Amino acid sequence: MKRRHFLISGAAGAALSMARPSWAMAGAPAYLTAASKAGNSTWLVGLTEDGDVVFELPIPSRGHAAAAHPFRAEAVAFARRPGRFAVVLDCATGAEIARLDSPEGRHFYGHGAFTADGRLLLTTENAYDVPDGRLGVWDAEDGYKRIGELPSGGIGPHEMIRLADGGFAVANGGMQTHPDYERSVLNIPTMRPNLTYLDADGGIVDQVEPPEDMRLNSIRHIAADASGRVVIALQWQGNPLTAVPLMASHRRGEALAFFDHPETVRLKQYAGSIAISSDGSEIAMTGPKGGHVLFFDGATGAPINGRALPEASGVARFGDRFAITLAGGLLEGGADGGKVLHVAGGYSWDNHLVSVRPA
Amino acid sequence: MTAKLTLSAAVLSVLAGTAGAQSIENKEAPGVPLETHSEETGLPYFAPGRGVVDHDAIRRRVLEVFDRQFGAFVTETQALTDVAKAYCGGTADEAAFKQQFHDTWMAWAPLDSYQFGPIESQGAALTVNFWPDKKNFVGRALRDLLKRPAEEQSDPAVVASLSVGAQGLPAIEMLTYTDGVETCPAVIGVAGNLHRIAVELHDGWFAEGGWADLARAAGPDNPVYLEPSEFTKVVYTALDFGLTRIADTRLGRPLGTYERSNPTQAEAWRSGLSNDIIVAQLKGIEDVVRFGFAGDIAENNRSWIYTVFEQTEGRVDSIGMPISEAVADPMSRIRVEGLQSKVHYLQSEMDQEIGPNLGVETGFSAADGD
Repeated sequence: MKRRHFLISGAAGAALSMARPSWAMAGAPAYLTAASKAGNSTWLVGLTEDGDVVFELPIPSRGHAAAAHPFRAEAVAFARRPGRFAVVLDCATGAEIARLDSPEGRHFYGHGAFTADGRLLLTTENAYDVPDGRLGVWDAEDGYKRIGELPSGGIGPHEMIRLADGGFAVANGGMQTHPDYERSVLNIPTMRPNLTYLDADGGIVDQVEPPEDMRLNSIRHIAADASGRVVIALQWQGNPLTAVPLMASHRRGEALAFFDHPETVRLKQYAGSIAISSDGSEIAMTGPKGGHVLFFDGATGAPINGRALPEASGVARFGDRFAITLAGGLLEGGADGGKVLHVAGGYSWDNHLVSVRPA
Repeated sequence: MTAKLTLSAAVLSVLAGTAGAQSIENKEAPGVPLETHSEETGLPYFAPGRGVVDHDAIRRRVLEVFDRQFGAFVTETQALTDVAKAYCGGTADEAAFKQQFHDTWMAWAPLDSYQFGPIESQGAALTVNFWPDKKNFVGRALRDLLKRPAEEQSDPAVVASLSVGAQGLPAIEMLTYTDGVETCPAVIGVAGNLHRIAVELHDGWFAEGGWADLARAAGPDNPVYLEPSEFTKVVYTALDFGLTRIADTRLGRPLGTYERSNPTQAEAWRSGLSNDIIVAQLKGIEDVVRFGFAGDIAENNRSWIYTVFEQTEGRVDSIGMPISEAVADPMSRIRVEGLQSKVHYLQSEMDQEIGPNLGVETGFSAADGD
């Protein structure tokens, strides 16, 4: 079977899917995030824009990110790497629809994306003995059966997102890991991250690598606007005392552009999540290790300001601004301020905030 | 509060008024004085139950242990390079070379637990010890090396330019313990390159501006350690990782399943060093607890954990044959499984007896990121 045939879609599948619960029937959450509570219980949580918890569904261990089905109230909660499971949940009933187990010799990296028609789920995976990056392909119309895999275009694919044109962007972080070594990076002297673009059929159509002096800046988390511009949250793997920018952006056909910020140092060389506001005017990037958020001008990439926010981790667009998970709740706002909503329940968020609505 | 203190702690708290380092006779390690007070602050390292942990003192003591352990790898790889030259030149016998190979691997074994800092940034995990090697990367890389002229084989710089499989201890092992393979002069080049790696690792920690300085400068402006306790936590987590490596990888891989064991997935099965490596790694972990953490661990907890270490090392001895052989026979296999359970037990005892004393645990942190 030719790999590109995996992703060919049909209207019949979409019609069938419509019979299943929609997001409205699941309490219309705006966001999904994984969370832990005291005693190490682990959950997938649905939040409204008012910070109300509309559901909390148990998951087997610590989660990382989630993928929301484009119209059915189905969410995939991914285990934190090097996880070997992902759980597909019916967010209207709380029922577990399917359990995805990574095949022999593969583990999940914690991110994935649905095709625009909702028929297929793609998951970033580590083929760790090869070593190589892969995208697992799962059939959302057939009980999430695994039907194959695609090359990710590099080592260590981490976040992948669907773009407005139905294609995908994949952040190949370049970091080689192996479950025998838990989370340690094994190839820093030779690592080469890249940003890879796939068309809607899963074929690689473009790739861009950072220049030599930014080779150790891992491309790990990404977001895109409607025009297909991708912004990148970077994680520096080189000498921790070297000052480097941690935000970059890319438009196909151009080189990567890196953007520094006077408060970059507060992120401790580690940017966690990134989002562009709906109106395109601002970019927000979190630093969970440093407990800090940076805001950039959405059009020019120029720094606006920054803000100390303890445990700032996930960020998603909220109206024309952002929702940011932090210790004890959510910040809704942007560079010019905002309000902190307390979320009851004693959650510690882990690690991303996923918008249910398409970009 | 005072009522909870043990006698020795009460004595120490009386002594606490005097500044400067102090020591008492160390019953657990005769000849090595047991420091009771920080040289820097004059404060006692501990008072069990006091609820205060001196992370600066822990860091200083842990770095001393690391300096010794990384330094030993420098010394042993230098000796290995020397004896490789002598062996290939006909002035040392094979037994001397194999003994030094053994000593070199035993010096690496404790370092396997520390997959952060210089080992990670220099990619040393795979260059020093490419394992598991399911696809024979080591054999293939060595074929490339052995195709070259003799003077290139013995050149560490040439070895450094080859794939990681040719650079480490498994490469030397395959050169030494495989019939029909020409040991010399390739071992000279591989050993010399290994020595370079050892020096760079030690420098990465202890040269000016190295990882040790980074740990010493813990604080709000530090890009890695926001406070001194974070280094304690990283080291504690590394010891836990080392125990996981023993139980799940060093023992779990060859054990396989009851129906199908994997003798050749035992580490260093060709040279039969598998068991000694486990003991050396256990002793390395124990050293960090004994000489790095101990001042901040209550007496009863530490004496118990030393007992569990001793019992675990005893379980290795009782296997009585190389792990690669033991896993295949149901009678001896059970002893390997027993060791694995014991290591898991040691891990849980560390979590209960040591972690709480240090105020750290290996669990969840909202700032972990990914």
